Amino acid sequence: MAGSPNKPSPPRWLLAELTYACPLQCPYCSNPLNYASIDKELSTDDWKRVLKQSREMGAVQLGFSGGEPLTRKDLTELVSYSHDLGYYTNLITSGYNMDEAKILELKKAGLDHIQVSIQASSKELNDFIAGTKSFEHKKTVARLIKKHGYPMVLCVVLHRENIHQMKEILEMAIELGADFVELANTQYYGWAHHNRDQLMPTQQQLNDAEVIANEYQVSQKGKMKIYYVVPDYYEGRPKACMNGWGTTFLTIAPDGLALPCHSARQLPNFDCPSVNDFSIQEIWNESKAFNYFRGDAWMKEPCRSCKDKDKDFGGCHCQAFLLTGDAHNADPACNLSPQHHTITDAIASAEQPTEQALLFRNSKNSKLLKN
Amino acid sequence: MSVQPGKTIQLSPTYRLQWEQAQNMFVLLYPEGLVELNQSSAEILKLCKDDNTLSDIVSVLEQKFSSTGLEPDIINFLNTALDNGWITQ
Ligand code: SF4
Ligand code: SF4
Repeated sequence: MAGSPNKPSPPRWLLAELTYACPLQCPYCSNPLNYASIDKELSTDDWKRVLKQSREMGAVQLGFSGGEPLTRKDLTELVSYSHDLGYYTNLITSGYNMDEAKILELKKAGLDHIQVSIQASSKELNDFIAGTKSFEHKKTVARLIKKHGYPMVLCVVLHRENIHQMKEILEMAIELGADFVELANTQYYGWAHHNRDQLMPTQQQLNDAEVIANEYQVSQKGKMKIYYVVPDYYEGRPKACMNGWGTTFLTIAPDGLALPCHSARQLPNFDCPSVNDFSIQEIWNESKAFNYFRGDAWMKEPCRSCKDKDKDFGGCHCQAFLLTGDAHNADPACNLSPQHHTITDAIASAEQPTEQALLFRNSKNSKLLKN
Repeated sequence: MSVQPGKTIQLSPTYRLQWEQAQNMFVLLYPEGLVELNQSSAEILKLCKDDNTLSDIVSVLEQKFSSTGLEPDIINFLNTALDNGWITQ
C-alpha cells in the first residue's frame, strides 16, 4: 500500500456489520443487492482483533448492525469485549426474536443502548413492509428495553407507503417511551435504489410530514428528541458525505471488507481492503480506498471551484456513481450539478403512482438479481 | 432553558463523560452520538454530579485555575448543556 504524507484524523465511529443474515425483508434495505452471494463471515476472533485495533486508533462509538446482529451467536461476547475496551456500544436491531433474557444478558455484558426499528404504526403495514409478522413482538421488545433501563432510539424509515402515518408513528414512539426518534427518509442505495420508484414520496406527502415532525419536535422538547432530516433529493444541496470521507467513520462488512461508507463496496474497481489482509491502521492511514476521496484534489467542476466544497465535500460519491456513472462527479442532488435532472426527473415521476411491485430483500431475490 | 442557581446539577443518565487517550480529550457519549469537548467544557461537566450547584462549580473552578469572574462563561455553557439535554437539574 502506498504511504500518504498527511496523517488523517483517527476514526471515531466503528460500524460493525456482523452479518447479512436477517429474518426481515425490508425493500429499502441498504445492504448490497448481491448480499446472498457474500456468505463468508468474520470469526469471533477476527472481530475482536478489529475491535481492539480500531479502539486503539481512537474509535469510541460502536454500532453493531447487519443484517440482524442478533442472529450472531457471539453477539453477547462481542458486546462484553467492546465494553471492556471502553466503547460506547449501540445495538441496531429489528428486535425480531429478541426476548427478555437476551435483553438482560446484553445489559450485563455492558450494552449501552438499543435502537429498534419499526416499519409503520399499524400492524398490517408493518408486517407487509417487513415481509414478516413482527409488529406486536417489536412493540413488546421496545417496552422491555425501556423496562430494563436502556436508552432507546426508535427508528422508522420513511417512504411513500408509510409517511402518511407520521402522526401515529410519533404517538407510538411516545407510548413506547422512546428517548430518541429517528425519522429516516429512505436513502436510495442498495435495495432502496432498486425500489426507488415505488418508495419515493410525493412532494405533498413530504411537506405534510415535515409540518407534523416540527410540531412534535416543539411539543416533545425536553422529553423525546426527534430527528427528522429532509431527504437530499428535495433539498437542492447534497448532504455532507460521512462527515468527510475517511475522517470519522469506519464500516466493516460481514466478510471483513473495510468500507469508508457502507455503500462503498458497490463502487466499481474500488478495491476496498479487507481486515483479513491488513490491520485497521494500515487500512485507515494507507489504503487507496480510504485516501481516495480525502481532501479535494479528486474533485471536478462544479465542485472544485465551489465555495461550499468544505461544507458538503461534493456530496455523496456513491450517489454520484449510481446516478451519473462516475463517482467523481458532483452528487446530482446538488442543483449546481449538470446531472441534477436525474433527481428532478425522479421527483416528477414519483407524482405518478407506479404499477411495479416492491422487490423484497431476501436471498431468493438477491440471487435472482445477480443472474 | 437556563440553569437555576439553587438546584443541584447532574449529567443526564443517558450521557457518559469519558477521557479519550487517542484524541487527548474528554468526549460526551450518548446513543449514536459523540461530542468532543474542549478543556473548559470538560472541566465544567466533570463537576455536574453529587450535590453540586452552580455556585459550587464556580468556586471549585475559580480555585483550580486561580482566577475570578468565571461565572458568566460557566452559566453560558450550562445553559447550552441544558438545552442539549446533556445535564439535568
Ligand atoms: S457544486 Fe459540489 S461542492 Fe458545491 S454545493 Fe454542489 S456538490 Fe457541493
Ligand atoms: S459516498 Fe454516499 S453512501 Fe458513500 S459515504 Fe459518502 S455519503 Fe455515504
